[in-house]
Amino acid sequence: MENAIEVEELTKYYGSLLAVDHISFGVKGKEIFGLLGPNGAGKTTTIRMICGMLRPTGGKALIGGFDVSQKPLEVKRRIGLVPDISNLFGELSARINLEFMGKLYDLDKKTRQERIDQVLKLFQLKERQNDLVKYYSKGMHRRLTIAAALLHQPEILIMDEPTSGLDAQTARLVREIIIDLNKEGRTILLTTHQIEEADRLAHRVGIIDQGKLIALDTPEQLKNSTQGMRALEIKILNAIDQQRWIPIIKEAEGVENVFLAEGKIRILSKDLPQMIPTVVNLVDKHGGKIENISVAQPTLEDAFINLTGKSIREEPMSKEDYLKRRLSRTGLR
Amino acid sequence: MKPLTSFMHSVWIAENDLRQSFKSVRHVVWSLLFPIFMMFTFSFRYGATGPDVLFISFLIRGIVGMTAMFGSINETMSIVWDKSLGVFDRILAAPVSSTSIIVGKTMAGAVMGVISAAVLLIIGSMLFGVSFANIGAIFLIILLASFSFTGIGTIISGLASEPREAMMLSNLLRFPMMFLGGVFFPTEAMPMPLPYVARALPLTYATEALRAIQVANTSIVLADAVVLFIFTVGTMLLGSQILMRIMTR
Repeated sequence: MENAIEVEELTKYYGSLLAVDHISFGVKGKEIFGLLGPNGAGKTTTIRMICGMLRPTGGKALIGGFDVSQKPLEVKRRIGLVPDISNLFGELSARINLEFMGKLYDLDKKTRQERIDQVLKLFQLKERQNDLVKYYSKGMHRRLTIAAALLHQPEILIMDEPTSGLDAQTARLVREIIIDLNKEGRTILLTTHQIEEADRLAHRVGIIDQGKLIALDTPEQLKNSTQGMRALEIKILNAIDQQRWIPIIKEAEGVENVFLAEGKIRILSKDLPQMIPTVVNLVDKHGGKIENISVAQPTLEDAFINLTGKSIREEPMSKEDYLKRRLSRTGLR
Repeated sequence: MKPLTSFMHSVWIAENDLRQSFKSVRHVVWSLLFPIFMMFTFSFRYGATGPDVLFISFLIRGIVGMTAMFGSINETMSIVWDKSLGVFDRILAAPVSSTSIIVGKTMAGAVMGVISAAVLLIIGSMLFGVSFANIGAIFLIILLASFSFTGIGTIISGLASEPREAMMLSNLLRFPMMFLGGVFFPTEAMPMPLPYVARALPLTYATEALRAIQVANTSIVLADAVVLFIFTVGTMLLGSQILMRIMTR
C-alpha cells in the first residue's frame, strides 16, 4: 500500500545553515507517526516543507501521491495542520475564525455551518463560540486550533508539538483527541520533544537530531535497541541539586550515560552488577548518601540517549538552533 | 485553480482583515484621531476678514489624501503582525495561492484607505463647510492613491522582520511624505530642491489631483491619475515580489 506521506531526501538550508539533512521516511495510512527530537532538531522545518509552506533545498515530499513542490494546493487540501502555537485571530470569535477557515477551503455555506457546529460540539466550545478568541484559555485555544484543522475533514493531520505548554489535564485531553482521530481513520504525523508522548501515542517513531533522522522504528523496537543496556535509578539524600552529581557519577567505570529524569539520576550501563558497587562507593567518597536505588526497564529516552549521546530534556538553545527555530516558525529573517 | 475561486479567496482574506480592524473600536478611533487633530491644528489660520476659507479648503483636501495614505499603509502592515503572531501561517497552510493572498491584503489596504479618507472628507465638509465637487472623480483618485500606498505598505511588510521594524520603516516614509506631499502647503512654495523630491512621492499627485478636481482642471487630474497608476503598478509589483519571495522560501 502506498504511504500517505512519503519523504525522500528532504533537505533545507537557511543560507549556510543546514536545518534538515537529507531526511527520508514514510508514514503509512491510518498510522500515528511521531517525529521525536530536541528543540532545534529540524522537526518544524520538516513539517513546514511537508505542508508546502517552505520550499525544500533538496529532496521531495509526497502527500497522497502529490508532490508538495509541484502541487502545493492539492496537498494543502488533503492535510490539516495544527501548529505548535495556536495561531487564531484573537480579535475574532471562534465561530468567525472557523467561518474564515471554511471559506478558504471552499466549503459551501450549508456544509460550512454544519461542520462548524460539529467541531464546536466535538471540542466542547459551542457555549463560547461567540467569544473573542483572545479571551480563551490555553486549552481552549488548542482545542479550537485542532477544530480549525479538522473543518475540511482532511485525510492527514499534521500536528507540531500538540501538547507543548499545556497543563497536564489539557495535555491528556489533547492526547485522547489524537487517539480518537486516529481511530476514526486519520493518518497523524506529530512532532514532539516529549519522549513519553511519542511512546504513548505513536505507532512508529522517527528520532531526529541536528537535522538528521537517526532512527526509525516502533517505540518497542527502539527501546530494544539499547542492546543489553540496563538502567539504574538513584536519588541522593538531601541533595537539592541532583544535577551536581551527574559529572561525578559519569566518571565511574562501566557507566555509559547519566542524566536526570523526573528528579532521579538515571544511569545506563551494560554491566549493571559491576557498576552498582562502583557508583555506591563513588557517592560515598564524595560525601553523599543514596536515599533510593532501583533497577528500571529501558525507556524510549534511554534509546534516545543511546542513539544521540545526549538527553532530550530542556537544554539552553544554541545560537544556531535559535536561528533555525526563528526561521522555520515565523518565516521572518 | 479557477480565477473566480482565486478571487473569492482574496475577498475572504480582505474581509477577514477588515473585520479585525473594525472589530476594535479603539483601533478605528485612534487611527482617525491623528488626521482630525492635524485638520484642527492647521485650520487656525486667519485671513484679513476672518478664517482663511481658501486655505481651509486646500488643507482639508490635502488631509483627505494623507488619511488615505495612513489608512492604507497601516492596514497593509497587518501582514507583519500576522507573521509575528503566526496567523499568517494559517493562511499559508490553506489551499490558497500566493497571488490570492497578496491581492486580498491589497484589497483590504485600499478599502481601508478609501473608508478613512471618506470619513475625513465627511468631517471636513460638515465642520468646515468645505464643498466637494465631482465625488465620483474624488473617489477614483482616492482609490488609485490608496492602491499605490498599499503597494508601499506591502514593500514595508516584506522588508521588515518584525512589527517594530515595520513601524520605523513606515514612519521613515510616511512622515516625509506627509510634510513634502503638499498636504499642508503647496509644493511650489517649498525651497529647492524639495519640489523635485515632492514629485517622487505619490501623495503629492493625490493631493494635487484632489484640488484640481475642485477647479475642474481635467488635464492635471488625468496626468496625476496616470502617475498614480504608474506608482500603483510599480509599488505593487515590487511589494508582491518581496512578499512572494518570503511566502515561497
